[in-house]
Amino acid sequence: MAVLDPVSKNYGKMKNYVNGEWVDSESSKVLDVRNPATTDVIAQVPLSTKDETRAAIDAAQEAWWSWRETAPGDRARCFFKLKTIMEREYENIARIISQEQGKTIDDARGETRRCIDNVDTAAGITSLQMGYNLEDGAASNIDEEVIISPLGVFTAVCPFNFPGMVPFWFWPYAVATGNMFVVKPSEQVPITTQYMFKLIEQAGFPPGVISLVNGKEDAVNTFFDHKDVKGVSFVGSTPVAKWIYKMAGEKGKRVQAQGGAKNSLIIMPDAVLDKTVNNMLASFYGCAGQRCLAGSNMIAIGDIAEPLLKKWLEASKNLKVGCGLDESSQMGPVVSAAAKAKVLGYIQKGVDEGAKLLLDGRNIKVPGYEKGHFIGPTVFDNVTPDMAIAKEEIFGPVVCFHRMKNLDEAIEFIHKSPFGNVSSIYTQNGRSARDFRYKTQCGNIGINVGIAAAMAYFPFAGYKDSFFGDLHGQGKDAIQFFTDRKVVITRWF
Amino acid sequence: MIQSEFPEITTFGTLVRFALELERVAAMVYEELASDPSCAAGADTFKALAEKHRARMALLEETRREKLNEAVLEPISDIRRADYLVDTAVPKGAHVKGSAAFAAVVEDTSAKFYRDTARIAKSILHGAVPIFERMAKENASNKARLEGL
Repeated sequence: MAVLDPVSKNYGKMKNYVNGEWVDSESSKVLDVRNPATTDVIAQVPLSTKDETRAAIDAAQEAWWSWRETAPGDRARCFFKLKTIMEREYENIARIISQEQGKTIDDARGETRRCIDNVDTAAGITSLQMGYNLEDGAASNIDEEVIISPLGVFTAVCPFNFPGMVPFWFWPYAVATGNMFVVKPSEQVPITTQYMFKLIEQAGFPPGVISLVNGKEDAVNTFFDHKDVKGVSFVGSTPVAKWIYKMAGEKGKRVQAQGGAKNSLIIMPDAVLDKTVNNMLASFYGCAGQRCLAGSNMIAIGDIAEPLLKKWLEASKNLKVGCGLDESSQMGPVVSAAAKAKVLGYIQKGVDEGAKLLLDGRNIKVPGYEKGHFIGPTVFDNVTPDMAIAKEEIFGPVVCFHRMKNLDEAIEFIHKSPFGNVSSIYTQNGRSARDFRYKTQCGNIGINVGIAAAMAYFPFAGYKDSFFGDLHGQGKDAIQFFTDRKVVITRWF
Repeated sequence: MIQSEFPEITTFGTLVRFALELERVAAMVYEELASDPSCAAGADTFKALAEKHRARMALLEETRREKLNEAVLEPISDIRRADYLVDTAVPKGAHVKGSAAFAAVVEDTSAKFYRDTARIAKSILHGAVPIFERMAKENASNKARLEGL
């Protein structure tokens, strides 16, 4: 079957978008952006300087009051226009995501839909930002009300695994509530963000309202150091999330920092085996395992272990690994050579620790894409809770199969993990499902759902070392993160 | 012979791609029949049905855009490509009844594809089920129209 055409074979050197204009970075540091399926260079990204980042924040701050005074209904209109443009550009967005990140085109289409969902939700700002009041609330003849106010300039530091969606967890809510926003995309996948900004530009947001700065540490450090930055949103690994939380906190900024994960999926003896296996394939192998919601530990309870493992191996072997732009591919490559090396290192570690490697994806060959960063489905059996592969985030298509006696043992295992992003249970028993959702300490729970990814109008974040902060991304949490409450007490003489 | 490329169905993307190809081929079949002088009596019907099938392509693309949710994006293994291939060698110089019978087979195959797809979609993309069911009903209605020629 023919591979879908990319939007472009080479997107050139990425630009920053500052104060409503596309500007070249003057940084001497420039990185190549590669298609992970082919390793061809498809763009270059500059690592913007502190001065360039500062200029973007200054321009945003300068333009803030004008946007803050724009009526919520008028702000919402920009989002309605953006939605129309994004629907029109849906397929192009998805193809760019697939091309630069490696994920399958269906995964990329799903991600694109989630971007638009967040725009849809933010477009409802006239309802979402409403305050509340109480006549005679302070005393007889003295009214009291709460106004939900914007704060100024916010920023986001984004990861490589969802180049489209993650910025949209944050900026639509910040901008809809009357704030300004500066996005720093991952330097590994900057093309989608640049493309999105071209659409944002067409939607008519005034200059300075939303800006794009390509870069790495210098840009991020400037977010912390600049007095006008009110908050930082982050998604990435746990060590960096901890650092972001600390640095932003020390500078008195709001922060929501989403970290890594080690997610467990529990299969009870009464699970519907065929449907469970099919659903878990998407969880463990979707996005080549590079999701913070990806399954990693598969925990079989009781005597379902053998039939489950047999079916799982058969399904894993049949999975078609290939270029993401080939619509028939069911799993694409991981994002980079470094990411592949890290995953291969974990597979070797699993072997060294004594786990039994039932399916080895290390030497997979994808015809026509011999240089690509592919790893085939990999399955370990006899994994024990003390092994590194059972505890640490691998971020690749590696399944750690455990056998446990009962649900309590599985929940105890989940609770020993420092992470708490998502856990799922597969069962037809309401009691088991209820116990699981009640007891499990994770930010997201799936019941017969392997990727429990909150929709735009629900909050998204994990517990424990999977999240540092209190207000989550998306939905009402995002509205609260980007605003403050102002109490007004009114008396008329 | 109309050129066609029906993919193996392994993903939601290939399922929609297969459906798009079915619609494109059906439209081309009707366009060829409409332009055949020996089928002049059915030309208007064939032209109208060609337009209907082209319009369905837009609906399928909209379905792919709006109903796909990666949270339930599962591999597809139980729809076999071979069961839904249509004959693209449109007969030349056949009488309108013979041509209509040829087209009716295309409608039958398409209807079967959408009925089976609706069944599969129940577990992975419930929101797309009514659309596929509607497509199958339209195929039946198209076939009835052909039988009236």
